[in-house]
Amino acid sequence: MRKKKVGAIAIKGFALLVVLGTAYQAITQDATTPYPNMAPIEQYLMGRTAEIALARTAAPESISRDAEVLILGRHGFETGVKGKNGFVCIVERSWTSAPDAEFWNPKVRTPICYNPGAAHSYLPRTIKRTDLVLAGRTKAQTDETIVAAVNTKELPVIETGAMCYMLSKQGYGGDSIKHWPPHLMFYFSQTDPAIWGANLPGSPILASSDASEHLTEFVVAVQRWSDGSENR
Amino acid sequence: MKRNQTHKMFLVAFTFAATLIAAQPAAAQDPKQPYPTMAAVDQYLMDRDAEITLARSAAPDAISRNASVIVLTRHGYETAVQGTNGWVCWVGRGWMAMFDHPEFWNPKVRAADCLNPPAARSVLPYAYKRTELILAGRSKLEVIAAMKAAIDKKELPALEQGTVSYMMSKASYLTDSGDHNGPHLMFFQTDKNDATWGANLTNSPVLSVNYWCLSADLYPQLKTFPPMSVFLVVVDKWSDGTVAAMHQE
Repeated sequence: MRKKKVGAIAIKGFALLVVLGTAYQAITQDATTPYPNMAPIEQYLMGRTAEIALARTAAPESISRDAEVLILGRHGFETGVKGKNGFVCIVERSWTSAPDAEFWNPKVRTPICYNPGAAHSYLPRTIKRTDLVLAGRTKAQTDETIVAAVNTKELPVIETGAMCYMLSKQGYGGDSIKHWPPHLMFYFSQTDPAIWGANLPGSPILASSDASEHLTEFVVAVQRWSDGSENR
Repeated sequence: MKRNQTHKMFLVAFTFAATLIAAQPAAAQDPKQPYPTMAAVDQYLMDRDAEITLARSAAPDAISRNASVIVLTRHGYETAVQGTNGWVCWVGRGWMAMFDHPEFWNPKVRAADCLNPPAARSVLPYAYKRTELILAGRSKLEVIAAMKAAIDKKELPALEQGTVSYMMSKASYLTDSGDHNGPHLMFFQTDKNDATWGANLTNSPVLSVNYWCLSADLYPQLKTFPPMSVFLVVVDKWSDGTVAAMHQE
């Protein structure tokens, strides 16, 4: 639910920002579900070396070279490389990074590098959601469990200054938007998006708030990919 | 290369880091101190209506049209327009840079800025105080001492969470360097550690500077000030929606 909202708003926003009109049209037509069920697990997995390399493309090399890297195994994310700067890079799959219509799209690969604050307080949600999905839970069951874990504080409160980098030129955002423009995301415990002037005409900030998960995500598009090249 | 130019431009503009200061183009008598003293107050003032318009241009109209606007007078900032959305737009002058910034007294600086409600409540009071002291003729050392006293007496507030400011005006003049301007957002944090956001690293879109000083060498008293870092994220459009050209020097 949360990801659907974030995805839809972000895609709509980025569609406006980068003239991805066709992507927006596609996301608004999500009444059909091209991926109704989970595909065989193998379709979500990657080669270890390739996954580490892809995860690291989410942030400039100056950050990701010293980051921990998690890779997806058959039962969840596991450590691929130990880091030393507190950042954690992963390649998210569809169930945490695509809108509902593509919840089971096995092609989705979304590189993200979390800063230490987000690695402590946001990443556990992604890890838990992934564990549940790979254990065979439905989307509804997964959502319900995550919300409960947030409410009982089994999952931590979002730390101040939690943010992530999504600057990879690579990856696959999904069929509706194949590639995300480079952007940063900032995480807050539930906050009114208006506090940052988000989602207003002309604002460079997009946001989504999910009361059930006590979470607000702000998205700021930036000009360059992680390798320093311009997004043109 | 362009990335480095953008980085450099922002580092020397308005709020910035010492290592690149020496690279500024030569100006006036001393390239490191092109503006050694305050200019006549008149040189910092603007026509009231022009200042309101410039202040509002810092953010998209959807934000700034309902914001309060403050303007500079001979004795400090005063409210020119009472807003309804909690935001405050204003035009910063050179002295809002760090105390040891070479353009601290640059009378050409016009930094249009719209602060969100938490920043208006917890950052702007520092600007008011600093400006009033400066316009009262206090020296930098006196300003620093007075601000420290105000902080210690809790006359100035602690920084709130969730602060952001928009600096997306096409008409700002932030620095003598480069293109003089560039659209960006600023986030104020009490965290002193640039690494928490990956700031100032090669190819990072996030820049970070100390709010108070480039270094504490000239004004060691600033070491006792509450830590405040400013994180800058360059955006690609001006407040009117037009695409910003890449910065060139």
